[in-house]
Amino acid sequence: MQGVLDILSSGVHDAKNQLFLAETLLVQAEAEHGISLDEARFAIELAALRLSRVLTAYKLQRGLDTLSISMQPVGELLEEAVLINRKHCERLGLSLTVAHQRPVLWPLDRELSLDILSNALQNASRFARSRIVLSAEEREGFLRLAVEDDGAGFDPPPHTAAPRLGVGLFVAREIAAQHQRGGRQGRLSLSNGGALGGAVFELWLP
Amino acid sequence: MAALTELGPDFYRALRFLVVDDQPAARQGLRICAQTMGAFLVEFSAGYQDAIARIRRAPPDVILCDYQLGGERSGQQLLEELRRFDMLADEAVFIMVTAEQAYEQVVAVVELAPDDYIIKPFSPERLKLRLDRVLRRKRFFQPLYVAKRAADFPAAERFLDESRDTDEGQLHRFELMRQQAEVQILKGDAEAAERVFDEILAAHAFPWARAGKARALVGQNRLQEAREIMDRVVIDAPMYFGGHDLKTQICMDMGDHAEAQRTVEEASRKTERNYVRKRLLADAALLNGDTATAVEAMADVVRNDTTPGAVTVADRLMLVRSLVEAGTLMEAERALDEITPQRLETAGLDERASWQALRALMKPDAERARVAGLRSAWMATPFDAQTRLDIVRAAMALGDRELATAMTHALFASDEIRRVFKVVRDLFEAQGMSPVFRELQRRAALQKISHGDDVPPEAPLQGV
Repeated sequence: MQGVLDILSSGVHDAKNQLFLAETLLVQAEAEHGISLDEARFAIELAALRLSRVLTAYKLQRGLDTLSISMQPVGELLEEAVLINRKHCERLGLSLTVAHQRPVLWPLDRELSLDILSNALQNASRFARSRIVLSAEEREGFLRLAVEDDGAGFDPPPHTAAPRLGVGLFVAREIAAQHQRGGRQGRLSLSNGGALGGAVFELWLP
Repeated sequence: MAALTELGPDFYRALRFLVVDDQPAARQGLRICAQTMGAFLVEFSAGYQDAIARIRRAPPDVILCDYQLGGERSGQQLLEELRRFDMLADEAVFIMVTAEQAYEQVVAVVELAPDDYIIKPFSPERLKLRLDRVLRRKRFFQPLYVAKRAADFPAAERFLDESRDTDEGQLHRFELMRQQAEVQILKGDAEAAERVFDEILAAHAFPWARAGKARALVGQNRLQEAREIMDRVVIDAPMYFGGHDLKTQICMDMGDHAEAQRTVEEASRKTERNYVRKRLLADAALLNGDTATAVEAMADVVRNDTTPGAVTVADRLMLVRSLVEAGTLMEAERALDEITPQRLETAGLDERASWQALRALMKPDAERARVAGLRSAWMATPFDAQTRLDIVRAAMALGDRELATAMTHALFASDEIRRVFKVVRDLFEAQGMSPVFRELQRRAALQKISHGDDVPPEAPLQGV
């Protein structure tokens, strides 16, 4: 099993190295020709994210992944998730705003949480009409990270049927559950409604 | 929270960057990223040795280093080497660049973590975001770096106290607490350090904080409790090799050399090129009587720890000691000859005495007169435990029971006896001096009970 993982990991890393080179060549072209290739760069980052996600899913399925928890500034996590997705949302004419004051710090896996939020923001950007809000707050002893949009919501509504679990949601659910603290476990929640009336994606971390 | 000023291109233009990557195209990619942020001075390095040479010559402000450096070297090894030889100021930034998502798990458990890391691919904007944060953090902690360099503990504590409730201090609350605990350990106030680590552990059971608490317990001589914590830490965080090292030290302090060797051997197998750990392995193996492993580990250190100044006289002595214990005297002599007079000149009192004692151990007749001239000075010098043990061995070889007894008495008077207890006991037994050893042990126990008031160390011992 470790052998298969090594081969897969090595392939994914090679591909990501190549994607990094592709992105920097685009950056160079932007500088040389005074043009913006944001969407091309975004597509490259998305491809890399999906590659990583498949690898993470494989590891999770085989119980190989362990989280790396450290005390992280929540504001910085949100800031980075927005930075990754801001230009893409702008191009689609969507406003992406952040609502967060406290908590300042929370124990979590930075890279995986960032991937989950980024994935949720990309999903929201496909369905939102004009607004997406990324928020964080402390509720019931959990950190609640939420992505809400003003689109039509999940179809079918999550409370009427089990959501179809793509790789992204599968990884998000497993990673959430692996966040454990003081006998409590993280979880994912999908619903419709919320303050903006559309889809509500919530990641609850203990 | 107060908005923090963004660090603009002018700020970056003044910084010296070093990009370390063995792949030319990747170096180019990182250069483009750095220049997009406003960097002007960007140097390249193609690998480990070249990077060390460049950093020694002109320390950069920011190092962007790929995790894979080719030739079985990693960016992590480079970082550890730079920190080990103090080649990087606290203010310098080291950012690891990697395509491996799993690097997060590596960085969480290494003893010396980079200031941050970033997973490829990434945009220059994201790299800048991470770098801005590190630079702001460095600026925030700068008064602490200055205070620690000057060993000015009151200034360090003042900074930590005053910073905790500021906006930026809240962002770094756990790092401030960690630093507070470290300052308490440096000051020798292990109880205060333990309280701070407990406060951190109340938030989350980080392996490093559990290890910190264990260190604080060692500082209070509560070895059994420290051992229990570390037994669990190495199981819960098997890749936290610093945890293995700490458990090894605790086991050695408790005289459990078999477990010490087993623990450090496990970590050393997974970190083949960590020569600091190899040295620890040699220490544990020799105390455990596994001379073959000790010889192998020290020969590896002397041969392959190639950074200039890395191999010390103490290392060469350890190799000699291991070879002598293994009974390979010819090789031991050759290794001893490697300690040239010039090398010995740079050594401290402990090493010089050990060098002489090991010579006497190998050639008692030739060295008898020289040791006779030194023995009273040796008895009056506060050597470390290793040197005292070397002298005990030499004294036994020379038949100088008085010197052996005096050195052992000094070992008993220090806490270090636990580490070498079994070795010394066996030496006395081999010489038919077990009753003397037991008497020394009895006196040490009495002295401990009575705080050393009523059993003068100079009282003659029967059988000497």
